Amino acid sequence: MSARIAVPIFPGTNSENETLALLRDCGGDAELVHWSQAETLGRYDAYVLSGGFAYEDRIRAGAIAAHDRIMDFVVEGAQNGKLVFGVCNGAQIVLEAGLVPGTGAVRGPTAAFTRNAPEPHFVCRHVYLKLAIDPSRCAITAALPKGALVPAWAANGEGRLAATPEHLLEIVDGGHLAFVYANADGAASQSASPNGSALNCGGLVNRAGNVLAIMPHPERDAWNFNHLDRREGKDVLAPSGGAVLFKSFVKAANS
Amino acid sequence: MPLLVNQAPVNVALRKDELERIARRLGRDPSVVELHAFDAQWSEHCSYKSSRHHLKKLPTAGSRVILGPAEDSGILYLGDHDGERYGVVIAHESHNHPSQVVPFEGAATGIGGIVRDVLCMGAEVVAVADPLRFGRIEDPDSHQRSVAVGVVDGIAAYGNAIGVPNLAGDVYFDESFDDNCLVNVVALGIVKESEIIHSYAPRDADGWDIVLVGKATDASGFGGASFSSLTLDADDEEANKGAVQVPDPFLKNVLMRASYRAFSYLREHEIVAGFKDLGAGGVMGCSAEIVSSGGFGADINLDEVNVAIEGMPPEVIAVGETQERLLWVLPPHVTPEILRIYNEEYTLPQIAYNARATIVGRVTKEKKYVLRHRGQIVMDVDIEFLTGSIRDELPFTELRPNELRDESIVYPELSTDEIVELLPRVLAHRAVCSREPLYRRYDAVVRGMTVIPRGAGEAGVFAAVRGGNLGVALAVAGNPRYGRLDPRRAAELAVVEAVCKVWATGAEPIGLTDCLNFGNPRKPEQYSELVSAIDGLAFAARELGLAFVSGNVSLYNESTTGIAVAASPIVACVGAIDDLAATVTPGFKRAENAIYVIGNVSPGLGGTVFAELLGNDDDNIPMVEYSELRVDLELLRSAMREGLVRSCTPVGAGGTLAAIARATFAAREAGRSLGVELAGEAYFDETPGFVVEVDDEQRFLKLAGDATVRRVGTVSKAAHFVVNDESLHVEDLYATWSAPLAEVYP
Repeated sequence: MSARIAVPIFPGTNSENETLALLRDCGGDAELVHWSQAETLGRYDAYVLSGGFAYEDRIRAGAIAAHDRIMDFVVEGAQNGKLVFGVCNGAQIVLEAGLVPGTGAVRGPTAAFTRNAPEPHFVCRHVYLKLAIDPSRCAITAALPKGALVPAWAANGEGRLAATPEHLLEIVDGGHLAFVYANADGAASQSASPNGSALNCGGLVNRAGNVLAIMPHPERDAWNFNHLDRREGKDVLAPSGGAVLFKSFVKAANS
Repeated sequence: MPLLVNQAPVNVALRKDELERIARRLGRDPSVVELHAFDAQWSEHCSYKSSRHHLKKLPTAGSRVILGPAEDSGILYLGDHDGERYGVVIAHESHNHPSQVVPFEGAATGIGGIVRDVLCMGAEVVAVADPLRFGRIEDPDSHQRSVAVGVVDGIAAYGNAIGVPNLAGDVYFDESFDDNCLVNVVALGIVKESEIIHSYAPRDADGWDIVLVGKATDASGFGGASFSSLTLDADDEEANKGAVQVPDPFLKNVLMRASYRAFSYLREHEIVAGFKDLGAGGVMGCSAEIVSSGGFGADINLDEVNVAIEGMPPEVIAVGETQERLLWVLPPHVTPEILRIYNEEYTLPQIAYNARATIVGRVTKEKKYVLRHRGQIVMDVDIEFLTGSIRDELPFTELRPNELRDESIVYPELSTDEIVELLPRVLAHRAVCSREPLYRRYDAVVRGMTVIPRGAGEAGVFAAVRGGNLGVALAVAGNPRYGRLDPRRAAELAVVEAVCKVWATGAEPIGLTDCLNFGNPRKPEQYSELVSAIDGLAFAARELGLAFVSGNVSLYNESTTGIAVAASPIVACVGAIDDLAATVTPGFKRAENAIYVIGNVSPGLGGTVFAELLGNDDDNIPMVEYSELRVDLELLRSAMREGLVRSCTPVGAGGTLAAIARATFAAREAGRSLGVELAGEAYFDETPGFVVEVDDEQRFLKLAGDATVRRVGTVSKAAHFVVNDESLHVEDLYATWSAPLAEVYP
């Protein structure tokens, strides 16, 4: 069965088109849903929150959007077991809404993606995300091999995970640390991080495994033409590289 | 000295003779609103009064030209996809004066403005570029340093938020920019030829609605057009700041998307409309130009303009340059749906205070421009007089370009020791070192269409159409170190360098834009530089068979002490790629491949980094022999077609040896640890040319024919940089090259 996937757009979202295109190229039945049509969101089976600067990142990235009408449907969906996948600003919104790590109350976040360090500004840099959990721990990563390496672009000013030592411990102990930054050879390393993230964290999963939030953008390194030197097969328009995570998402949504 | 109207002072930059001309034509004294309107329309910024007649020398036609320099942007034919002809929309402007006064906002609104120029052609905005020129930045407490940092942050903040990748740019530092930074901005869009929207009122527009869209008009940017046409005076700092606009990329993000929605509505209903960006001269400038270029007049009620502050004087509402505004000319039956898209579907009034789309007036058959305010007519003039071309004939002398190849100058012989000693110094020079600390603040990959991101090579490349195989390359050039010595040949080199950067990606150059950044045209020696540079641009473009489809002139880049910026003709070049798979990616690929240099060695050392380090004061800048260059380009093209070129790096500042080093750095950044072993003639000369990596030398040499090629060495597995019998480490050179700007942009 083909799940209906919504890519909601907040005022300030800017990565909706590539997110939609990749979902479709990976076999997903996806649509953009504009903020003025938020009331239709309940009809969808899964949600992908894309990158951008929703509500201008006022207060802190994701802080306002987490309280938007759109999120009423996304939060409810997540609680009912629907898949929610947040990328970059989408990840910040999902975190601010308390869906990941999900160790506190809804809309009561226990961590933040905050100002990068030591470079305290927007950084655009190619990175690799390494899967740090058992693939089946998260429905969205279930089709990835163990320790999978996902190429992506970090492109944010607030991507550094920060939390109290107690909450960081909860993240580790509860198996919420889904992705860490790694070098091209697959070795996880703090030096591979673009932002000084606590736990070298690049992505978080909730307890139930149906909500995943990752800071870097796999959808910007997701077709052969994005990485001609690493192309897989001849067709330059074929999804590859970072598309692996979106393929896994679509597979999980459709199962 | 302010002008007095009814005993009240009016600050305008109009000259006495211009004021007299206006009064004579009107048959009365102009009103305050009219004075400000003429001040904006007749500024150099809007009228090109001292450059327009010289700009006519530039070639503007060609088989690739869909739209030459007539509207807000030019359009070049890119190629076909799915049975449709696609065009690349390109605009190129400067925001120099505002960026010098308020760097962050000045540069951000530069991006904001250029994006609207492309948007209003009905295009999706897909890339920006930022050629920058800053003063001496060594002192961390200097204004120059804060300008250099603030400008980059402003460009980043705006471009990143609207989701348009920054794919090309360059930066130079020179003391002539201490008091006048140059912030040039380029934007690209993609549009189907059948769906272009023009910046003029369509044929049947009599009685149509004039609809203003965007931010509520405020008092920011009042006097911007005439401000940018004056020499900056430090004493007027506060007044100057008020002339700079306030950026709102958040609102722009929504405005762009709402406009895309409006485009598709108009397409579906086959409605022809006019659409134009509000730039210099505000509501007045934009509405007057959009109707007059369609052969109409306009009647506008300033009370209908959505404002942020009540009680603003009419001249501020009329000519203030508040950002994030555009203007439609729409058939009245369509207006309600367009208003609904902006105001309800995209909720503009909830995005920013009193932002909206609103009807402010109508198009009239009579060729008059009328503004009303509180029941009174505050402006009533012949529209052709207001917007028609005015011209300043200013004295200049034709500057003599340096001699065509002076045989007495020879490239100095260097020992291997000297080369090895010089190389790290060349790579650490501010004209050569890594720009990554700047451009890593820019989003180079949003939209997911990027093929070669900013900085990896000398040109950015992106996929033009989702699901299609067409690509676009974009590069900029304009070395002020040459401009200072020889404006005419520097202009030629700017064209050639931009074109070579595009060729190096495997793209075919299809068109050019220029921004001419010069000093005070009322000083013959500074004006002569401008005139000579235009000659140089025209000559080089004709030799290479390319046209200029858009451009801009920025004059009065002169400090109060009379120092003009180094002559800065800055050029952007667009290239077309038929098959993305044929893109040549940067950086060496494989050990054992041969390294060739395509291109001659020009004896001119003037302006080169190498000459500066040697204390050589040659003022002959590198020269281009076009007949040789064309043969060389033909070789490169055919070698690339046959798949023989594994990587290609254009020669630029720092010369051939720096280009070879950059190819090792690009390989390193792509995760390939490689070095070079050089034994041939590789120099620091900056003659335009290419460093190419070849795997099948026999076939390459067979193709070479009359082209100038020389083998300089091979790519090596070891990450070392060997010159004859001396060896350096690539890692050390990379560190040397990477360090200088990291300190300025931490």
